[in-house]
Amino acid sequence: MSTVTVAKKDFKSARRSKLLWAAAIALGLIAAFVGYVSGNAPGTDTQQVQLLFRVLTMILGILLPIVALVASYLAIAGEREGGGIKFLLSLPNTRRSVFIGKLLSRNGIVAGGVAFMYVAAISVALARHGAFPAGVIFGTLLVTLVYGGTFVSVALAMSSAAASRSRAIAGAFGTYFLLVILYVFPVVQIPTMVQWVHTTILGAEKNPDLYNAVQYTSPYLAYRKAINLVLPTEMRQMIFRSSLPEDVTRGSAEANEVLPLYLQDEFSLVVLAFWLVVPLLLGYLLFERADLE
Amino acid sequence: MPSIQTNGLTKRFGDDVLAVDDLDITIEEGEIFGFLGPNGAGKSTTINMLLDFIRPSEGSAQVFGMDAQREAAAIRDRIGVLPEGYGFDDYLTGREYMEWAIETKGADDDPQALLELVGIADDADRVASGYSKGMQQRLAFGMALADDPDLLILDEPSTGLDPNGIQHMRSVIRDRAANGTTVFFSSHILSEVEAVCDRVGVMNEGRLVAMDSIEGLRESASGQATIELDCASPPPVDGVGDIDGVSRVDVSGTKLTAECTDPRAKVEVVKRVDRHADVVDILADNTSLEELFNQFTGGGRDSDVATPAGDNVQHVDAQEAEP
Repeated sequence: MSTVTVAKKDFKSARRSKLLWAAAIALGLIAAFVGYVSGNAPGTDTQQVQLLFRVLTMILGILLPIVALVASYLAIAGEREGGGIKFLLSLPNTRRSVFIGKLLSRNGIVAGGVAFMYVAAISVALARHGAFPAGVIFGTLLVTLVYGGTFVSVALAMSSAAASRSRAIAGAFGTYFLLVILYVFPVVQIPTMVQWVHTTILGAEKNPDLYNAVQYTSPYLAYRKAINLVLPTEMRQMIFRSSLPEDVTRGSAEANEVLPLYLQDEFSLVVLAFWLVVPLLLGYLLFERADLE
Repeated sequence: MPSIQTNGLTKRFGDDVLAVDDLDITIEEGEIFGFLGPNGAGKSTTINMLLDFIRPSEGSAQVFGMDAQREAAAIRDRIGVLPEGYGFDDYLTGREYMEWAIETKGADDDPQALLELVGIADDADRVASGYSKGMQQRLAFGMALADDPDLLILDEPSTGLDPNGIQHMRSVIRDRAANGTTVFFSSHILSEVEAVCDRVGVMNEGRLVAMDSIEGLRESASGQATIELDCASPPPVDGVGDIDGVSRVDVSGTKLTAECTDPRAKVEVVKRVDRHADVVDILADNTSLEELFNQFTGGGRDSDVATPAGDNVQHVDAQEAEP
């Protein structure tokens, strides 16, 4: 009960933030723009819309972590620095209800941003193509909310560990760099670095499966692989090319099935579940033990 | 069952800061207890341990017989807190904050009545973060009063309040205490403690250095009462120094000054001198609370500044003026 009260108050306060509304509207505009520029490829209307949502998830893969981190990095640290925690914990709340209440409300805020994007994208899709492929739309929406949730978890853990605003900001930046940026830009990439350590320093034979497995620990790649699970087979993204034989064609069921189990699309659910749960537990334990002054 | 009890409560920060040292206090139901001490004496640290904001390094604290750490939520159900270092940083109005406190406590108070009681009903629909310090203090006090708690824990409650606000808060505190609420009240302002509290604990450098009623403190303090008699002619000294409780007698011109270890000796001094000389003026000075405070706390943070005894009073005044 007190969890709900904590969440309600937090959400109410956030709803009045002009900055959050501006961010949500910007997200909606981005989605509308994507809907407008995509959809000139050959194919049926339904396929066009499915492709539109695939593109949308690629953008969300990069953008949503920022939204989730920004929305959550002050959830606990801000209350500690600003003194709001004194009221929260003078009233009949436990630290657990504060933590879970914050988790609920910040997930709600992130879900609100995603909803803006989906409403905009769906509107454009209906207007231009008149198609509503419910499987892909709701499938990607669900996976996207889980993905946003992983970054809310990480940010909340960081926020619990940091006693001040500045440390929480540093934590959020570091997280984004470590969990997203290092998997996106081609030059400084985790697999390249791991390969270098493995072959140059340890002097071992090249092992692409290993590098891909290391890479797969990132929620960013797990999200892209999880999106494959809800896309039609021919639209799936081929992600661990170096672990695939040369003759596998893109968009075939084989492209997933020939991979070792720990590199397959289904394994992404394990990775996402890990990032959803483990940071939360750590963050909660830290918060439970902290001296709050 | 005591409302608050601590047993050997100790808090260290790091290796070298001993904020609270082996504290044993017991506060009985219905008491108004004043927790007095200079800045940094460990008052807020103690309160923060009672509220489970921070955890003791050693020892334990019980509120209504419940362990402050393990049963924090059950304790919070029965207490009202005006914490130190709070902030209204959500985008909510004063009324919404009050409603939130009432809702969280599961109470059925009328928010408007509480807002009126603390004198901010007219500003209740403004965002609380825009309030002045004094108005925020009123709102926080009002939130503490919701659900008519069995124990009020007030950390420096008069901070930022104007004199009317302080007066009003005191009368609300007395009303609540008269209805059986225990009040635990920390302050560095002596007059405030004297005006409201039944019993006082004085803390200094993490230790409880005295615990008694204000009268008891006065008696136990080694403070001197001084009496000055202005006479029409130079008064004779004979016998005045022999009065029980008089420690020193000085005569300069027509003025006789007697220092008394027992304040009651002053009357005897007047009677004795009056037999031999015409007393035209009397000036008596009891140990002031400020001197008491200084005796117990060794001058607090400012003890290293060499000040003649007379200046101590000013120094404490300066503390009172602190926001």
